[in-house]
Amino acid sequence: MKAAVDERLDGLRGSAPRLTYSARSLAALENNPRCTLRAVLDASGSDKAAIAAHAGFPTPFGQSPFAIARGNVFEALVKANGCAELIRVLRETLKLTLPEVAYQDLNDVGGNASPEVRHSRTRQLLVNTALGKSPGTLYDHPMLRLQVGGHTVFLEPDLVAFRIEDRFHVVEIKSFPIIDGRADAAQVKAATTQASAYVIALRAMLADAGIGPDAVSDTMLLVAPKDFTNSPTAAFVDARKQVATLTRQLTRIEHIGDLVSLLPEDLTFDLAIDKSGRALRPAEELAEALDQVPALYRPDCLSHCEMAFFCRSRARACASLDVLGSAVREQLGGIDTATMALGLARGELTPDADQAEMAAALRHAARLRTEVLGQADGAGATA
Amino acid sequence: MAHLEAMEQMRAVSLTVFRHRRLSAKPLVIVPLTMAGEAGAPLAAMAGTSRTAPKLLVVAQPRNRDQRFAFAADLGRIVMNYIDSHRLHRREVASRVEGPTSRYTDAPQILVPNPGGIKALIDLGRMCRYRKAEGPYPVAPVVPQLGMWLTFLAETAEQAGTSMLLPVTGMLAEHWATGQSTMEDQNLASIMGWIDPPEGLSVAQAIADAENPAVCPPAGPATSPEFDKTYLAPAIRRFDDTYARGDIAATAAAEADLRELIGEQIKPTWRLMWAAVSLLRAVPEAPRTAARFERDLASFTAYSDYQDGGGLPQRKHDGAIGAARRLSRLERAQADFEADMAFDDPLALADRRSMGEAFAGVVTGAEPDRVVTTAKNRRVPRPRITVTTYDPVRLAPGVTLISPSMPNSHKALIIASVPDGASTQILVEVTGGMGRGVVPLKGSVPVLGQHMDYLPDPGWRPTPVFPEPDSMPWTHSSPADDDPDTNPEDNAAEEWGNAD
Repeated sequence: MKAAVDERLDGLRGSAPRLTYSARSLAALENNPRCTLRAVLDASGSDKAAIAAHAGFPTPFGQSPFAIARGNVFEALVKANGCAELIRVLRETLKLTLPEVAYQDLNDVGGNASPEVRHSRTRQLLVNTALGKSPGTLYDHPMLRLQVGGHTVFLEPDLVAFRIEDRFHVVEIKSFPIIDGRADAAQVKAATTQASAYVIALRAMLADAGIGPDAVSDTMLLVAPKDFTNSPTAAFVDARKQVATLTRQLTRIEHIGDLVSLLPEDLTFDLAIDKSGRALRPAEELAEALDQVPALYRPDCLSHCEMAFFCRSRARACASLDVLGSAVREQLGGIDTATMALGLARGELTPDADQAEMAAALRHAARLRTEVLGQADGAGATA
Repeated sequence: MAHLEAMEQMRAVSLTVFRHRRLSAKPLVIVPLTMAGEAGAPLAAMAGTSRTAPKLLVVAQPRNRDQRFAFAADLGRIVMNYIDSHRLHRREVASRVEGPTSRYTDAPQILVPNPGGIKALIDLGRMCRYRKAEGPYPVAPVVPQLGMWLTFLAETAEQAGTSMLLPVTGMLAEHWATGQSTMEDQNLASIMGWIDPPEGLSVAQAIADAENPAVCPPAGPATSPEFDKTYLAPAIRRFDDTYARGDIAATAAAEADLRELIGEQIKPTWRLMWAAVSLLRAVPEAPRTAARFERDLASFTAYSDYQDGGGLPQRKHDGAIGAARRLSRLERAQADFEADMAFDDPLALADRRSMGEAFAGVVTGAEPDRVVTTAKNRRVPRPRITVTTYDPVRLAPGVTLISPSMPNSHKALIIASVPDGASTQILVEVTGGMGRGVVPLKGSVPVLGQHMDYLPDPGWRPTPVFPEPDSMPWTHSSPADDDPDTNPEDNAAEEWGNAD
């Protein structure tokens, strides 16, 4: 059964190499989890950016070189000299009483940087620490592993897993500022979700060694620049909710078969890329394939999903209320399109039993609007 | 409803009859740009009170602290000149609370493209307000002044109905409904595309262009990553190289290049800002805007006087009492602003009527001569009327009402509301606005057949009393409530910038 699903997913992806999940794409699962199109594309490891671009909707995502440079500089600064700055912050800002801290660089193992080698070294060290065989330590770029939908995903906590009061804590180093103890909520949320992927992976690894989930705290440590300076500060962020959500999303991926089995047998998003790297598949055909999978567009997709511009054009084309955002959508529960809403409002459509109440409200609102606008026009005409 | 029509017709439709925000005859438009990835590092700003005379300020190396504060000083001079030009004339006013006092006759109005622009000014304000003109890292005296004023303006901007600092996208969205989401409406080029697409373009084309940074550079504060990569980063590197070599002529040339580059990015937004201002000017101002402007004048004058008296910079966090006060003020302002809008604007009222928060109908029953005796043994007129409405009213008996169809002081109370088929009969008792006699003044009581609009009275509420700082219970005080001036963080704050 499982194999059959994998085959289907491979078929959907076609000839392109499989993209694996990263902490970022796992974290993105939390947004709009009910979108089938995204679920299928992700699970099949398809390249969403390439597909969207080929369908005529290239994604404008990208990070400014300034932001990347700043991120790297800040991370280097925090980690310099065996994380001296980080330790200072933990002691001074968070008032932690830390015994002597050892620092372990896991960026490579004796010059070997393959993920497998690094992962086994990480596991050996962290399990030993958990069992109390070696002292509390900072681990720089440990390599974690998580099974997602039957595929191995390597996760590299952009940072360090750390041990405070006998529990591991995931540390995220981010370059957005914490000004007067406050940081941008959206960015904190993104960082927390990413960290919760690491928490899950860390717990999975320790569970294999028979160590319970309590060994890993679901509070993460956010390290970020303080105010307008370059010197770091830190805060504890509760990631419990996101850990739970992400765990749920991960179990859903296991059930991707249920979604795939609803799709036509021969459906594929293959771009048919030739040797010179050109996509040979006609764009219209690709768009038709994409249209076969139900997508759930929401305006906030625009800020995180590569397919969003494609989905928005589809939503606009059928005058879906999704275009206006969830507030309007909820107000008009049970009605899907602007055409239908206006039809009901003008009495051109007959509402079914579920829509009767909404239709009455719409007709009323429409009448008021015409009344007022009529008056305003009338007043303008006489003036 | 309006959004639906906008979607169908592919153009913006009006959401209100009036413009509910004051638009100054001479607003100061500021388009701030910041550098990606840096904490509130200004990159550039275009500012000015006239479309034809913009002033472009550029920070050649935003990571350099000295250049950053030189920029703050330049912008500070523009802003302070503008603010000072509103501090020339005062006029006596009688205030019920403070007795006779005087107020400035005009208040500043700063317009930025979007909410992000306000955030950029908040960050700039925070960066500047604790700086000092003397001591180890001196800055121009105008810098802390700018910081305090920006912080003050940003705080007023949180309050509904104020007009001293506003995002233009917000003003546009208050009057026009588009067929897109609130998030997309915050893109200035996009919302303008809906309202007034460029010559020869359809709305669909205009909004597609608005999202293409190559056609419409973003209105900031962030620049497009593509622009950063292709143009900005190399240009800044050139500047740094020439600067490091100490080659004065080449440095000046590199700086000029940067200015031109950034100018090209910022100018389209500048033009859009003024186009938006003239669109907004064409919308008639709502009657009650004037009364709200009086409140702006009062708070502007109060802050200005505080500053003249050597005011301290605003603290970083509100204390417990400050926070409670602020919250109560904001909630109050929001309720008042919504009521004002509905009172002035039939479309806003229609919205509230559709939601059952207001109603309108014809007077179908009246008891104009009803008189009751109060507990104090006084005979007062309490006429009752019945209004028949077809609105889905959700107001309960006991709610106090005000009415745009009657003189301002009219007050009424819902006694009962009885659904009757498609309509609802609402029994209303008139309680105020009838004069002092037993016989109501002429025209102060609705008559049979009259059309009445009613909406709930946001009401006069006494200003909540909060404890004084020294009598605050210990549970609500914290050591962080200290004077911000004594904060040791300042020293650390200065370390950044000169290092690179």
